[in-house]
Amino acid sequence: MNATILAADHIVKRFAGHTAVDGLTLTVPKGVIYGLLGPNGAGKTTTIRMIMNIYVPDSGSVRLFGEDGTGRDHSARIGYLPEERGLYPKMRVLDVLVFLAEMRGVSRRVARARAGEWLERLGLSDWRAQKVNALSKGMQQKVQFISTVLHDPDLLVMDEAFAGLDPVNSQVLKDTVLDLRGRGKTILLSTHIMEQAEKLCDSVCIIARGRKLVDGTLADVKRTHGGRHVIVNFDGARGDADRVFADRRLVSKADVSGQYAELELAASADAQEILQALVRSGARLARFELAEPSLNKIFIDLVGPEAATPTARSEAVDGG
Amino acid sequence: MAKLFAVIRREFRERVRQRWFWVMALLGPLLFAGLFFLPLLLAGSGGIKRIVVVDGTRTSFGVGVASALQRSGVFTAVRVPARAGLVDSLTRAVGAKELDGFLLLTDAAVDSGKAEYRSSNVSAFRTIAVLERTLGQLATAARLERAGVNPTVVATAQVHLDLETKKITGGKTTGESAAQSFSLAYFMSYLLLLAIIIYGVNVMGSIVEEKTNRVMEVLVSSVRPFQLMAGKVLGVGAVSIFQFLIWAVSARLLLRVRARFASTTALSDSASVFQIPHVSLGTAAIFTACFIGGFLLYSSMYAAVGAISSSDQEARQAQQPVTWLLVLSFFGMLGMLNDPGSKLAVILSLIPFTSPIAVPARWAAGTLSAGEVTLALVLQAVGIVAVTWVAARIYRVGILMTGKRPSLKEIVRWVRVG
Repeated sequence: MNATILAADHIVKRFAGHTAVDGLTLTVPKGVIYGLLGPNGAGKTTTIRMIMNIYVPDSGSVRLFGEDGTGRDHSARIGYLPEERGLYPKMRVLDVLVFLAEMRGVSRRVARARAGEWLERLGLSDWRAQKVNALSKGMQQKVQFISTVLHDPDLLVMDEAFAGLDPVNSQVLKDTVLDLRGRGKTILLSTHIMEQAEKLCDSVCIIARGRKLVDGTLADVKRTHGGRHVIVNFDGARGDADRVFADRRLVSKADVSGQYAELELAASADAQEILQALVRSGARLARFELAEPSLNKIFIDLVGPEAATPTARSEAVDGG
Repeated sequence: MAKLFAVIRREFRERVRQRWFWVMALLGPLLFAGLFFLPLLLAGSGGIKRIVVVDGTRTSFGVGVASALQRSGVFTAVRVPARAGLVDSLTRAVGAKELDGFLLLTDAAVDSGKAEYRSSNVSAFRTIAVLERTLGQLATAARLERAGVNPTVVATAQVHLDLETKKITGGKTTGESAAQSFSLAYFMSYLLLLAIIIYGVNVMGSIVEEKTNRVMEVLVSSVRPFQLMAGKVLGVGAVSIFQFLIWAVSARLLLRVRARFASTTALSDSASVFQIPHVSLGTAAIFTACFIGGFLLYSSMYAAVGAISSSDQEARQAQQPVTWLLVLSFFGMLGMLNDPGSKLAVILSLIPFTSPIAVPARWAAGTLSAGEVTLALVLQAVGIVAVTWVAARIYRVGILMTGKRPSLKEIVRWVRVG
């Protein structure tokens, strides 16, 4: 289970005027769901495109399945869902699926059979002979997803995996991803929605402005970067709670929003002291909980508000 | 290779399934049918003209003319002796369409070769030609007889001469006449121009489509961009050849039907009004080679244009230089037809960008040696390789670009850096 499926080694990609990915190194072990997290413009898509051999890194290297060869050489073993989705609108559903599977090296006969099974599984068999543009957006999303897994890839790469999915398809995607992991497949997904990453990912890598901020298993990241946290819910009266939150001997950082507060404990403080101080301050508490920090909080702490606004990005591209 | 083949098959299948393909496939034979049969029908229906010969001669010349015209099979000619008021009433009859026209004959016809034909349609060249010939022959005969030549000698001396022109190609006389060669050259060039533009723009549209609907990224992650471009060009090329085959087969069938139609209705003479050019095997081969060469050359340029454009409108603008290059070669060819052996013509048939249009035209006009054809085709092949190489480099970078169109400087950089 410890085999490395994907290893990027100090990959760099510069576009006219700015560096999109700046010496990024990441390692994805076999059989995990790996989240590539970062704000918009952090370099997630560029990284994924380098992994897929759509862009060639200016320096550094990408190694897949522990073997030589580019993403294109291994395309039969990789499923790819790009950030910008799209199918041939005028082709019939089954034809599109068969064609895209052929592009991944599956024979027509096998592709036909498998496409039929998947369409059945996702409730689209009645639509197989219809043209793609006759389908609703949600159905097109399903077809697109089928096209990425039809060749039974060992590695599934999904850029902004959940972007634009309705709740039903979002659930279908999650179930299928978990099912694939259960069968020993590896999934690399990028997202900037931390709640989803937290629920799905075994390991994460947080990047901003093309550089890695932290990576590792979700548990490790939380342990090393989270600190000790307390979640407080008020029951109406807040009393003098703000004075307690401002006490730097007890609380190093407070994220307060109305009836809810997420506190990071000061190095020497004890959670019990805070509880006592809050009770003394006259606040009525509905909940007082020692908690792990959310991935969202770690993300915001690490990335910082300024990094969340990407620098101006040129669309020009150097040699593909 | 299996992937390349899959790309070709997709392009071919999706196009042949479209309605416009079959509309075009049917439109061709319809056009041919019109071209082949309309002249026949026109010649046939315009057949017998009702005319009156107003005989003002003092000899039997008028009688002879009327019976000769009657025998020509083109006219029903009634001889009426000239009298006052006759011309007015005949004019009214022509106006009322009871009569097609009338011929005014006096002794001047024989004396000085002057006669008059009045009709509602004096531009019907076939009618006029028969009239002139008949009158000329009879006038000559009358003069000879007046000079004392034996009428039987006059009759045997009459020769009906039809000048037929034949083209000499490579030391051999072919069935192609001069006028036919010209129309064939014109027709072939025009067909090539249209076909290359239509199918080249098709390749471009297909690429822009993949860019706008974002399939491109998935494709590029599994197929090399060059394979993708080659697959498109070859797939669309196969569609165009399929289209041509449909047209060629239907044209052949129509010609066969036409030949039978013409022979049974005894209109073999009028068939010569519009003759179908004789297309030799060599001509067909050169036409095909130039179409394939021109298509490969131009469609890879169109592919590059498609790759640097993000929308149909943008592509339509950006393709103009390419289309102009083609149209320019066509006009160059038109100018060249006056003198297909000129220096300009030779140059045009050697430059890869103009040769697909110029070579078939010059070949049809008969001024091209086999050696020149070979040289032109070799240069064309070199041109195709070079243009495809450049186009593939532009294509590779361009297909993943959205947003603003790259400047010429950027494109040059793509080609250099690759």
